[in-house]
Amino acid sequence: MPERGHIHPISSLIREANRIFFDMGFTFAEGPLLEDEWHNFDALNVPQDHPARDMQDTFFIKPHIASQQGPTLLSSARSDLAVTEVLRTHTSPVQIRYMEEQIKKGIQPPYRIIVPGKVFRNEATDMTHEAEFFQIEGLVVGEGISLAHLKGTLEAFFAGIFRDASVEIRFRPSFFPFTEPSVEVDMRLVGEHVPEKLRNRWIEMMGAGLVHPNVLKNAGVDPHTYSGFAFGMGLDRLALLRWGIDDIRHMHSADLRFVNQF
Amino acid sequence: MKISRAWLQAFFDTPLPDADTLADALTFHVFEIDGIEQHGDDHILDVKVTANRGHDCLSYRGIAKEISAILNIPLKNHPLGDKLNLSPQTDAVSVSIDDPRCHRYIAGYIRDVKVAPSPQWLVSYLEKMGQKSINNVVDATNFVMFNIGAPLHAFDAGKLKTKNEKYQIDIRPAREGEKLLALDGKEYTLNPSILVISNDSTAIGVAGVKGGMPASITEDTKDIIIEAASFDGAAVRKAAQHMKLRTDASARFEQGMSPEWPAYAMRDMVLLIQQIAGGEIVGFTDAYPVKQEIKPVSVTLDHINKTLGMSITTDEVSDVFTRLGLLFVQEPVISQTYHHGDKSDLSPAPVFTVTPPFERLDLTIPEELIEEVGRHLGYDKVPSTPLPPSTALPEINHSFAAAERIREDLIAQGYSEVFTSVFAEKGERVVANKVDGVRPYLRTTLIDGLTEALKKNIPNKDLLGLKEIKLFEIGTVWPDAKEIQMVGTITEKGKASEKPLSEHTQNVGHPMSYINLPTSAAIRYAPYSRYPYIVRDIAFWTPSTLHHEANVGSVGSYISDVFKKESGELLQRVALFDTFTKADKTSLAFRLIFQSFEKTLTDEEVNLIMQKVSTVLSAKGFEIR
Repeated sequence: MPERGHIHPISSLIREANRIFFDMGFTFAEGPLLEDEWHNFDALNVPQDHPARDMQDTFFIKPHIASQQGPTLLSSARSDLAVTEVLRTHTSPVQIRYMEEQIKKGIQPPYRIIVPGKVFRNEATDMTHEAEFFQIEGLVVGEGISLAHLKGTLEAFFAGIFRDASVEIRFRPSFFPFTEPSVEVDMRLVGEHVPEKLRNRWIEMMGAGLVHPNVLKNAGVDPHTYSGFAFGMGLDRLALLRWGIDDIRHMHSADLRFVNQF
Repeated sequence: MKISRAWLQAFFDTPLPDADTLADALTFHVFEIDGIEQHGDDHILDVKVTANRGHDCLSYRGIAKEISAILNIPLKNHPLGDKLNLSPQTDAVSVSIDDPRCHRYIAGYIRDVKVAPSPQWLVSYLEKMGQKSINNVVDATNFVMFNIGAPLHAFDAGKLKTKNEKYQIDIRPAREGEKLLALDGKEYTLNPSILVISNDSTAIGVAGVKGGMPASITEDTKDIIIEAASFDGAAVRKAAQHMKLRTDASARFEQGMSPEWPAYAMRDMVLLIQQIAGGEIVGFTDAYPVKQEIKPVSVTLDHINKTLGMSITTDEVSDVFTRLGLLFVQEPVISQTYHHGDKSDLSPAPVFTVTPPFERLDLTIPEELIEEVGRHLGYDKVPSTPLPPSTALPEINHSFAAAERIREDLIAQGYSEVFTSVFAEKGERVVANKVDGVRPYLRTTLIDGLTEALKKNIPNKDLLGLKEIKLFEIGTVWPDAKEIQMVGTITEKGKASEKPLSEHTQNVGHPMSYINLPTSAAIRYAPYSRYPYIVRDIAFWTPSTLHHEANVGSVGSYISDVFKKESGELLQRVALFDTFTKADKTSLAFRLIFQSFEKTLTDEEVNLIMQKVSTVLSAKGFEIR
């Protein structure tokens, strides 16, 4: 028997997160990394020419030339029909895709999904910033879903991830175009097994909130009947905290001096 | 936005609490604080005003209003409370708005001002904002903008052309290729998507972004025309992007601004100019084609409580709205019987109808009112409630289930998982705006990344204690105008190969749940040294007293201990890699890896350690081969 290889810490976290959320009734959903602007922005209530669009630095992808019939199709007559594609800046477009799909199948809420996956930001990289990284999105839609349910769900998730600690959660006001109200979620780990660097300290973990009625509407869900919450968290950052990793760039380093510690 | 505590104090009679308390109040009820800086005996808070509140909070007035509501301290006077009276009107300036993207334009004409250095208080206020003082007139426009949030501009009337002794100001789209030398000394080439302020067919400023040199205020300026205006946010944003020039003014306009603002800004500006530069007010011209429409928003108490998951009372809601200065009507009016009688008297549910103040463009739907209630009462009061039990089993994601199974199979075969970049030197799809400019394509294969990763890891084989480097990646590629998930593997001895994940998916069938697979057992990550390592092999015959086969393990661990003791932290790894017995003697061979966290080790340093190890072992009867 050869010696076992090693799982990437992000894959391990996704496996763990899926297990915790599966038990709470969440389906693992996916979507394309190359997205159209509608799903990445407009459907999520991020209007064109609004500063909210600047909150995320976006990689724009040039139209696909190889698939065109010839140079004439690139003329201005066609260009306004072309869909601008972007590398998704968050996992939130899958909220829209999932709800659209369910509505098309005639399935009304309740919905519960998580979306772990890769996302992209067009920015300079350093110890805490990467151009490509992982997020986990959560979406719950149903009747009477509240901010209190968001708190309860996140507490259960963090308690599952940080098993040796007791976990506290707090909300602070924030703004995201796709949630209303929006909150920033901080977490605090308490207990003797918590590394000193983290113990009793509030750490910013993610953005979250109640799904904006426009987002539900854009996906074909009736916002008068249903409400929901959504959250989006950086998995790389969670891995950094969980294992005390010193540099986010290790994640894509493909260096076994890193990976083989997991 | 930078907020000086001392400047903020000017809005209150009651002394404000210290900077930390202010920071906490803002953090937990409205905006995050990016930092607090000491500035002499003042403190400057860096307040991260969110994109939905640029309308009203990119100013001292806006922050003061929030502080007043949060801490329940009254504002000294309400800057927007007084009835406005911009008089006299004048026909010495005429304004014509030729584009609907200008929502309002007020020109204020003042003669005989004295342009001079600003008074010390103004210089020091602007300094707190990181702004250099220019002269009293220009400084006044900036002061008023920071103070109440509406940008202003001042033109030198003497440099403008008149017609029949009247100044004509037009707000119009720029002509294609029209040029403007702006106040920053740069010449910008404009186009019709950009709005300009124009006099006698010449652009004298870009609407909402920057004024122009042709009408700049200098020491010789005598008569000024002050602009207080409101422009379409998207138009200003596009212009600023085209010019690659984001100014304090454009940052405020681009979030959208009420057309009521300019009148207040003009009032404050004229008062300040009279105070610090004198002059005689000739009058005002106000072009305001479409008055702002304010729509009331209603929310029920039930909706508030269902959304926040709380049990808030009508009194608490009215208190929040009152503190925030939101005009509201509460229906039905709760009768006296409520205080004595049954709770069922309360139905139908109370409804709050709020008429937002003109500057609160963010209040348009019930959920936005709910946010006001939630954040003001404090989100710490939101309880934690588990989700109700799920009515249906979650679906199994077959592609993830297949990926998980492959991941486990490969790991069991000794492969380690890596992620390599999706960006490549070549491919079909190309990024149009990559910040760093390198590897602009999206990969079409995992092989190139894996090959590179293999090459990078081979030199570390000994350090890792591996016989062979074996890697795999499950990742996205973009070949043939498609996006697919691929599984790729590479080993030193074999060939790299890849296969779409979808080809593995059918093997999974239709499971009802995921297989329970192990997660990483790692507790803490240990940083690795970035310096090169040195390898030494050592082999020796064990003393005959110890040579018994069954003892090899314990002899090995005894020797490892010796190595560790003699070489300290520099020994990264020690591995027994060979044993054999000849006649009655057993040979053991070890591989030792030395590496420092502080420097590149030299052969001499390692030789010294090896000598010490040999000496100790020889003394114990081991015979070095």
